[in-house]
Amino acid sequence: MAGKRLFRRNEQRRSRRGALRLAAASAAKASATIFLIMRRMRAPLIVLIVIFAITVLGLTLIPGQDAQGRPWRMGFFDAFYVMSYTASTIGFGEIPYPFTYNQRMWVTISIYLTVIGWAYAIGSLLALLQDRSFRQALALQHFTRKVARLREPFLLIAGYGQTGELLGHWIDALGRRFVVLDLSAERIDGLELDSYNADVPGLAADVRDPGLLSVAGLDHPSCEAVVALTDDEEANPAAVMAAALLRPEVPVVARVTTRTLAERMQAFGSPSTVNPFDRFGDHLRLALKAPASYQLLTWLESGPGGELPTRGLPPRNGRWVVFGYGRLGQEVTSDLRAEGLEVTVVEPRPTHPEADMIVGDGSDPWVMAQADLDRAVGFVAGTDNDTTNLSLVAAARRSNPSLFIGARQNRPMSAPLFAAMEVYALLVPAEVIAHEVYAQLSTPLLWRFLREMPAQGDAWAAELTDRLISVCGKRLQALWKLRLTPQEAPALSGWLAGGNARLAELLRNPDDRDEPLHAVVLLVVRDGQTTLAPDGDFVLAPGDELLLAGWAAARRALGTILFVDAVREYVVTGRRVPSSWIWRKLSRVPEPTSR
Amino acid sequence: MNLEKVVFGFFVVLAATLNFGFFIGDLQNPALHNKYELFAAVVVNLIATVLKFGDRTQIGAVHLATSLVADLQLIAATLAFGFAVYVSSDGLTAAATAGIVSLSGGALLANVVSVILLVVETVSFHRG
Repeated sequence: MAGKRLFRRNEQRRSRRGALRLAAASAAKASATIFLIMRRMRAPLIVLIVIFAITVLGLTLIPGQDAQGRPWRMGFFDAFYVMSYTASTIGFGEIPYPFTYNQRMWVTISIYLTVIGWAYAIGSLLALLQDRSFRQALALQHFTRKVARLREPFLLIAGYGQTGELLGHWIDALGRRFVVLDLSAERIDGLELDSYNADVPGLAADVRDPGLLSVAGLDHPSCEAVVALTDDEEANPAAVMAAALLRPEVPVVARVTTRTLAERMQAFGSPSTVNPFDRFGDHLRLALKAPASYQLLTWLESGPGGELPTRGLPPRNGRWVVFGYGRLGQEVTSDLRAEGLEVTVVEPRPTHPEADMIVGDGSDPWVMAQADLDRAVGFVAGTDNDTTNLSLVAAARRSNPSLFIGARQNRPMSAPLFAAMEVYALLVPAEVIAHEVYAQLSTPLLWRFLREMPAQGDAWAAELTDRLISVCGKRLQALWKLRLTPQEAPALSGWLAGGNARLAELLRNPDDRDEPLHAVVLLVVRDGQTTLAPDGDFVLAPGDELLLAGWAAARRALGTILFVDAVREYVVTGRRVPSSWIWRKLSRVPEPTSR
Repeated sequence: MNLEKVVFGFFVVLAATLNFGFFIGDLQNPALHNKYELFAAVVVNLIATVLKFGDRTQIGAVHLATSLVADLQLIAATLAFGFAVYVSSDGLTAAATAGIVSLSGGALLANVVSVILLVVETVSFHRG
């Protein structure tokens, strides 16, 4: 056992050393570019020095005369002074005595020489500043410094497309930090325009380079998770691999679009993978089986401020028509068939044959007639083209207005069009991924709740939704985690140890204990065992972890109850206890037992 | 033969020789120390410094450091020269000359180190 632990520690140390070495290599790359720039400035600087030397030397050698007409030679200081202001085009005139014609001829030559020298040097310098590799090196250095200075936990988001942007905004709203890597420099520039509360370090770089991942914080002790969200099928596994090998203890979430890719990733540690098409199929199944569970799931996943989605009623029996047999179509079809529903598939260019498949274009009236939408109950427009999907939805609705319609939205620009279509189940891959990742990372307890919730049944979900609405209204308020440990809830220790700590007694308004607190406990975790949505009679124990949903005010009030003995005493027993030391002495109340 | 090495070696040695030429002679006698030689030493030293820019090796870094020291000393010497000639009411006295020349002597030491480095680099270079 001990030997195993030792081995594990060795392994960790080795991987950390590897990460450090990689980061050092990237830093060296950045400084290498600076050296290259210095090398390139050699020629302009030498030209400038030589021109100055020649012109200054010439001025000291050429005979002149002083104010009285006596022969006089300029000293080095005077000559350098004259050349300095002449070369920089300031031109104070002829100092200290008016020049002779000899001197003027030399100064004329000098002016042209020095102007050329300066123009060359400054031009080279500006060209270097504009140089792409130089700017990249500067950006890399700046980024490295920013990441190294992060002192709070942060996420590393590799791939900042639509999904990354959505996720970034939610993470930022939670008050947590993140670092962004993306291949496209435009998206990284866009970071500065996005209005984030915290400073977001970003670098335009290839996610497949483990050295850059290290620089971006993979080897930083505060890095709490890595999220691979690029739309590149190669980059995501590469990022997952690097994270698993260099920092095995950091959780990884990756976006995948096929099952084979997800399985490939499982070879490295156990990254959690999010497949939007698979999720859409699962959600559709859940919506078919348990509409209330599905409604609660989408509501809790929608993030703070999310509005209660309407409870759809998909048809539970009848025939479905799925247009487009790509990644989405295959998932949906297999999920629907697993539910025992009949499915007709329409695909213009099938890659492999399938039962009940019509080969043809959806815009073809003959194909539409074959699909026989009049006698179908559900319809999914799942091609990867928004225009096609919209026209399919319109055509389907015209032939059968009572159809349950699901559609896939590919680009964010099409969002208003799909909203106008009023599709019942809309798949926006970017949003699905962002919701999933958010649920996994923001509060791991929420993720646990969402995974275990469907097993509780539809009626249970409907009841919990009603409870949430009655407490918080139709907008999702704050979700937060609470641990009943002596550190995080010092005032509760004594009460919890009593063994009769009912949940309903705790969730009361500290100003008036007859009023309940506007918060609902969604989940209690005790020694790895979960209790979903416990009722008021649930008895709490020390060390419990609670997931709560409710108003921000309730969160603050609960914070007071957890920390101030007098407030806890009032809330739990109804007795007003003086909180200050003097008043306690005067009223001779015994010291609170919990301390 | 590498032309870059020739130019580099030329300037490093020339910087040292010019510096030596200015330094040699009675410390206090201004007549034995030519101001044009000091000027040339400054210019050649600056060029040698720029030539050493951007070398990433350890020996390159020491090269650059010695050159920077020599520049600093020589520029201090020229400033002392200018001060003695233009600002000080006494002019170029024996004491002022001694100060200037000893400053250039310090630069000479740095330049000698530079030349030694050059020799070491050349000797340690194995062909094939």
